[in-house]
Amino acid sequence: MFGLIGHSTSFEDAKRKASMLGFDHIADGNLDVWCTAPPQLVENVEVKSATGISIEGSYIDSCFVPEMLSRFKTARRKVLNAMELAQKKGINITALGGFTSIIFENFNLLQHKQIRNTSLEWERFTTGNTHTAWVICKQLEINAPRIGIDLKKATVAVIGATGDIGSAVCRWLINKTGISELLMVARQQEPLALLQKELDGGTITSLNEALPQADIVVWVASMPKTIEIDTDNLKKPCLMIDGGYPKNLDEKFQGENIHVLKGGIVEFFNDIGWNMMELAEMQNPQREMFACFAEAMILEFEKCHTNFSWGRNNISLEKMEFIGAASLKHGFSAIGLDKQPNVLTV
Amino acid sequence: MHNELKITDMQTLESNKKITEETTNPISLDLPDFTTDSYKDAYSRINAIVIEGEQEAHDNYISIATLIPNELEELTKLARMEMKHKKGFTACGRNLGVVADMEFAKKFFSKLHGNFQVALEKGNLTTCLLIQAILIEAFAISAYNVYIRVADPFAKKITEGVVKDEYLHLNYGQEWLKENLSTCKEELMEANKVNLPLIKKMLDEVADDASVLAMDREELMEEFMIAYQDTLMEIGLDNREIARMAMAAIV
Repeated sequence: MFGLIGHSTSFEDAKRKASMLGFDHIADGNLDVWCTAPPQLVENVEVKSATGISIEGSYIDSCFVPEMLSRFKTARRKVLNAMELAQKKGINITALGGFTSIIFENFNLLQHKQIRNTSLEWERFTTGNTHTAWVICKQLEINAPRIGIDLKKATVAVIGATGDIGSAVCRWLINKTGISELLMVARQQEPLALLQKELDGGTITSLNEALPQADIVVWVASMPKTIEIDTDNLKKPCLMIDGGYPKNLDEKFQGENIHVLKGGIVEFFNDIGWNMMELAEMQNPQREMFACFAEAMILEFEKCHTNFSWGRNNISLEKMEFIGAASLKHGFSAIGLDKQPNVLTV
Repeated sequence: MHNELKITDMQTLESNKKITEETTNPISLDLPDFTTDSYKDAYSRINAIVIEGEQEAHDNYISIATLIPNELEELTKLARMEMKHKKGFTACGRNLGVVADMEFAKKFFSKLHGNFQVALEKGNLTTCLLIQAILIEAFAISAYNVYIRVADPFAKKITEGVVKDEYLHLNYGQEWLKENLSTCKEELMEANKVNLPLIKKMLDEVADDASVLAMDREELMEEFMIAYQDTLMEIGLDNREIARMAMAAIV
């Protein structure tokens, strides 16, 4: 069994979905009611790999909504309770989707192993970050040439370079792609310097300096709504890969020859009979999903029951290659620009 | 031009780290001072509720046995366990030098107690089990689970032992209702509609005292809903039925 822990993108959205699914007791409730709502196992599904193997899985909604981010204790409980539910259901490998893994990491939930009468077994969970990082790199490699960017001459900026996904992307770009220049941007300078030392390459810079220079920008840090960006200063063509959560880059970067690609999203080769991705507002909800979710499926297909992506800065090139090969083998592919005709403005 | 854009405005994975370190690191910082007058005052009521709750649980299981005589042995065992818990919690109060306000506790349970007695007289076993084995047990488990995190070391140890037992009780009522679900569903729903709002009221009534003990109302309610939902799920109700039942808690 694989598991996916997800949540709605907003409180309003959550209420609408709850009503759709028949959870009337919380659909009508205010935010306080949602703060006391237990996690819900929303759906069970069977998925068949391109190799013919079948696996079963469940989608768990943690009943967390982004409006709870400022309520530290509530957010912590939502994540831990959803994880406890996954373990109690006997799920082998569960991906922490959306804000779930960010909360887990930032609020240091490792120290909360005991949840009621359940001792959480970390090996049953994965952040899915290895697969996400690999998918973002593939999206970059495949889509840049499509809009006329030659990777060998390209300058790539990674915004949020020291995060788990960001550092993995930098590692891959330096070692595997032959790009011309890597610009690394992050809030904290100390880990940035460490990363530069580890990679023996890459230039540390600021966002303002990086944007006008970059042919490709990989965003793995979420942007607050208040940020305004002057698109006149960007290179044309320019590829923006939105690898953060929530995906809101396309609101900021509109203009001719600016291509925004939803990063870290994969497409399965076949329709999956589920409703859960409709809830996640995927364009093709029967096939598309977050790469982190797909990682749980891939690990289940491979009978690789371990916390494959865990902690920070543990994503090696070998791990990315392993998950990437398995991803392709079982029928996943990274979504490309052709999936987003509205944004394509060549 | 929008040159004021700064990297510090961005939420990166690291940006919440400071909050983390301040709020989660020393877990013991969350513990209240067990020696203050305000703590002891609140404890006198909470402790009494727990002691009274265990006594009523004992009495209720003995009463339920009159409706299912072939379960007498099992129910007597449960009842005895509840008395053991009562003794444990009495010791917790004594340890802190607190005299439990039993009069308050009796009043606190009176409505639920009354409903149980009426159901017992009518021979409504399902209602009796819903009140004792589901609602009261889930209420107790949720309160104990929250309390364990903020209790004094003596009470923490006792409460941990009690919680292990309480999970057994919940299972007992669960099993009977599961086996008889086809015939008892209607009564279960009806009894729930009447009694779940009482639990909510009781929770609201102790919320202030509980917060003095560092027990958060929101967390108490969530723990209750988890225990309650788990039980109903085990009994064999589906998501929609559970949602309909839980609705009674927010009306």
